[in-house]
Amino acid sequence: MTGPAQDSPQDLAAAYALGALPADEARRFEAFLASSPEAQREVQEYREVAALLALAGPESAAPSSLPADLRDRVLARVAAQKARTLPAAARATAGRPSSAVWVALAASLLLAVGLGAGLVSARGKLAAVETELTARNSALAQATQKLSEREATLHSILEPGVQMFQLTSSGDPEPGIQLFWNRQRHEAIVHGFRLKPVPAGKAYQLWFIKDGAPVPSITFKPEADGDAQVQGIPVPEGGSLSAAAITVEPEGGSAQPTSPILMVGTLKQS
Amino acid sequence: MPDAASRPSPAADGDLVARAAQGEERAIGTLYDRYGTVLYAVAYRIVGQRADAEEVVLEAFAQAWRDAPRFEAGRGSVAGWLTMIARSRALDLVRARGRRDRITASAAADRPETPPAMGEFRPDPGDALDHDERRRQVRQALETLSPPQRQAIELAYFEGLSQSEIAERLEEPLGTVKTRVRLGMQKLRECLRPFYFERGT
Repeated sequence: MTGPAQDSPQDLAAAYALGALPADEARRFEAFLASSPEAQREVQEYREVAALLALAGPESAAPSSLPADLRDRVLARVAAQKARTLPAAARATAGRPSSAVWVALAASLLLAVGLGAGLVSARGKLAAVETELTARNSALAQATQKLSEREATLHSILEPGVQMFQLTSSGDPEPGIQLFWNRQRHEAIVHGFRLKPVPAGKAYQLWFIKDGAPVPSITFKPEADGDAQVQGIPVPEGGSLSAAAITVEPEGGSAQPTSPILMVGTLKQS
Repeated sequence: MPDAASRPSPAADGDLVARAAQGEERAIGTLYDRYGTVLYAVAYRIVGQRADAEEVVLEAFAQAWRDAPRFEAGRGSVAGWLTMIARSRALDLVRARGRRDRITASAAADRPETPPAMGEFRPDPGDALDHDERRRQVRQALETLSPPQRQAIELAYFEGLSQSEIAERLEEPLGTVKTRVRLGMQKLRECLRPFYFERGT
């Protein structure tokens, strides 16, 4: 076996950019990378090469075969995610009707009514109907979104290999956090309850304790009822995760904890 | 390109990521228009079927949205960053599927690979041309590699194997595999340098 010590950084750059180094070797290379602008440039170039390899796929994956609705689905998922991670901001935009179906329906209604005899009074009714339609549409959109979010959450929690961990704290009422760790996807879902509101400009921040050191993760704020839910949280890969913890940090998150640990739970490697 | 000059200058990729980081969903839409096909191509190559490839594209853009605040323009192009995300998600999916399939021995029949009824996809025509040209160049560049070099690189990139795993699979010495990866990537770099995607900055 050739030990990593014998590989020059130049040798490693190509394999690293290609994702062909094992996790521990990749970490060692990253440590070196931080101190070498030359190696950084090297990696950057090889990353461009790797990105181009994406295009080496078969003809059947050519642009013309992208489903027409995929763009809308991408945007819908981003919007749903936004609603989850930014509860306050989301409420302002969630009601905006965006469905092309409703626009088409409204247009056909316009046409049908326009063909009728009592054009003037019909216009008044139409406006009322449209207002009503818009209101129902936004209610429906919100309900649908909520439902699909819950379904998605349930689905991800029920996936095989997902384990739940409790992060606890003392207090009255006692706040708590459930962390659902999907080891296959390296993702987690956090569900918090009875959380105290955070001061303005502050947020809760999640930390993974990896190899004994805190790794910053997402920040979040509880809803008015003390609930919080964040999905799709990337869980650091490689190394040994021993615990997850919560602190209160400035809204943008911190690189290192700046306040005492509020809640903590052990992540047992099964 | 006279064509490009007559169009209003489009936002740089890096600016789009910055706007996404500030909560602007439309920026993700524009990135999709530019790189959706690229992400779909890598996803499809790895997962091998449409429905999963679409799911990977969805997850990749959702992750790009979450990770946008941490994107560092100095570390490479937006396209490189996006494709790496899509590649990781696709490999995750294949690994998860492998486990699932082992459990349910009879994997559900996949959708037939006949082209589904597709609407018209309208990416920026300029981008589409660029990708087609790039695709051609990538294929040509791969042709210049020796078959073992190409195989090693493809196993690493599309199957997520480390160099030692490749060595194991091919029953070759690790040093040989490392050399193939290195020389192959060097050759690709020489061929493809003029065709890199736009820089993040």
